Amino acid sequence: MKQARFWLLMAAAMLVPQAALAQPKKPGGKPPAAAKPAPTAPATPPAGGAGGDLGDIDSPGAPAAGGDTGTPPAGGDTGAPATGSSGGICEIDPSACPKASDIQALSNKNVRADVYAVQQIYALRRGRVELMPYWSFSLNDQFVSHLGPGLGVNYYLTNVLAIGFNGTFHQPFNGDSDFNFQNRRASRLAVPLNEYQAAGTVNFTYVPMYGKFSGFDKFIFHYDGYIVGGVGALRTRPIAVIDPDNRKFDYDWRLAMSVGIGLRVFLNRWFAVTGEIRDYIYIEQLENTEVAATQVQQRNPDTWFGEKPLTNNVQAQIGISMFLPFSWEYRLPK
Amino acid sequence: MKQSFRSPRVWRSNGAMRTLRTGVVGALTAIGAMTAMPKAASAQEIQLTGPLAGAPSVRKLRLYRQGRFEIAPGIGQTLLDEYNRTTFVTLRLQYNVFDWLGLGVYGGFGALNLSTDLADKVDATAPRNSRTAANIPPKNGPKYTEQVGKLKYMAAPQITFSPFRGKLALFQKLFVDTDLYVHGGVAFVGVEERKDCTNCTQLSTFTNETRTAIAPTFGLGLTLYTHGLVSVNIEYRAFPFSWNRGGFDSKGAPPDASFPDNKIDKEDRTFKFNQMVGLSVGFSLPSAPKLSD
Repeated sequence: MKQARFWLLMAAAMLVPQAALAQPKKPGGKPPAAAKPAPTAPATPPAGGAGGDLGDIDSPGAPAAGGDTGTPPAGGDTGAPATGSSGGICEIDPSACPKASDIQALSNKNVRADVYAVQQIYALRRGRVELMPYWSFSLNDQFVSHLGPGLGVNYYLTNVLAIGFNGTFHQPFNGDSDFNFQNRRASRLAVPLNEYQAAGTVNFTYVPMYGKFSGFDKFIFHYDGYIVGGVGALRTRPIAVIDPDNRKFDYDWRLAMSVGIGLRVFLNRWFAVTGEIRDYIYIEQLENTEVAATQVQQRNPDTWFGEKPLTNNVQAQIGISMFLPFSWEYRLPK
Repeated sequence: MKQSFRSPRVWRSNGAMRTLRTGVVGALTAIGAMTAMPKAASAQEIQLTGPLAGAPSVRKLRLYRQGRFEIAPGIGQTLLDEYNRTTFVTLRLQYNVFDWLGLGVYGGFGALNLSTDLADKVDATAPRNSRTAANIPPKNGPKYTEQVGKLKYMAAPQITFSPFRGKLALFQKLFVDTDLYVHGGVAFVGVEERKDCTNCTQLSTFTNETRTAIAPTFGLGLTLYTHGLVSVNIEYRAFPFSWNRGGFDSKGAPPDASFPDNKIDKEDRTFKFNQMVGLSVGFSLPSAPKLSD
């Protein structure tokens, strides 16, 4: 009989979750009438036993055992999921259920009692490395399109400030527009053209904007807007169009400043789609539009170079963004 | 020791008890197993029917568009122009049937046509000789910049699709509601370009005429709702079609019509992916948006 009592007790214990699951389903998935969010203190660790705080989220009508005293209930096993609750996080995903050690660690944290406009930002950036491969194309050069793949790497010193670099490889992708030929043939006037080999800058990125979108009223995705500025170099050369028989140009370095704005749409906490507009400002070296009088002079490279105008190379960069490490721990509980 | 002296009846009784106990334990174990088994499934069930399941992603959403009429004056600037840049003064009239769908008309006129540096250089430095006689007016004639193609007006009935609604925090201080939309329609574009001619070296042929080009138009935009009544809108628009931007005789001769034929006609129009960016301020009526459930 002793064993029978044991087994009956075990069976009863196994039946307990059934009582929790036996709650009537909400018709149409509507929230319960008593579903009023309990006030939470962001700077205060979760009160009561494990699952208590989360129980408030999932079943706001049922206050957590232990109340707001900040101490676990006497004799309560805070490491166990809250029994008798209706579909709390502990039942849905036991691995996500806070343990007593978690609560202890949180309570020992030195927190600032500030309330932020956005609590627990969806994708934190501080201390993470961002890899940003992209495809770049020119927005303001109607004569030669400067396409090319690129890669940006940023390290976020804070949640809104990063330092990094980016580089773009243009050389095989420069496209001399058909319009140049049409213009030369019609007006007998050649426009000096230049092509790029590569561009690279060291940047600071500042992220002042953060937002979220509801898509089709079904899902939510987060995005941020940033500004970027830096200094670096471009390697460019003139395309010989004035005197192509004699002139042959090599790529050379140009000091460049860059400023830009960008938008990053997060598809999850570490993967995003990015769009950026960047202006690389530099002094370009153009081909000389005049041809020297003699053959010897025409072959002298000193006669090949012309004006050096300040040039804005405005590029659009479309790409993806990956943040490492993939996950993190929030400093404050939600 | 006692058990060893049990009577067979007692033994039978104990056997029955053992059978009963085994049955009860078995039954309870089975019930327990059954109880335990649905646990995983019920977790999924809870995910589907929990307090937020089936609920919209946003409650009490301000419906800035639905059932409202919008008037949005603004400006637009063409991009990647070869010979002439156009600044449009624009107006968008739109009625939003739903929060995600609007019908309207986008229009504008070219308030400012500015020559590019290339057009100025062609005018100033291009040689005037027999090779350019059909393309560049003589020095004593009109300026070259007058013959280049210009955009004069645009009217585009269009559909606006706004699938994304959201909000934006700036410096964690300033918050604005936003939406992201795409639009598409048909554009009727007034194009001023060099008029057709067959003897195109005559001075009188270096004049323009206006025609209406029909082109698809599409793009996307971002609206910032600063107020129930007022919004700010940034938009990109493409309206690709063929036109003769330089006023040149560049095509038309056989064998494949890619050589000059000393005539200006529609053969000389070349395809251009025309683009512009616009900024407008929208006023929506009624002035207060409704709220969703």
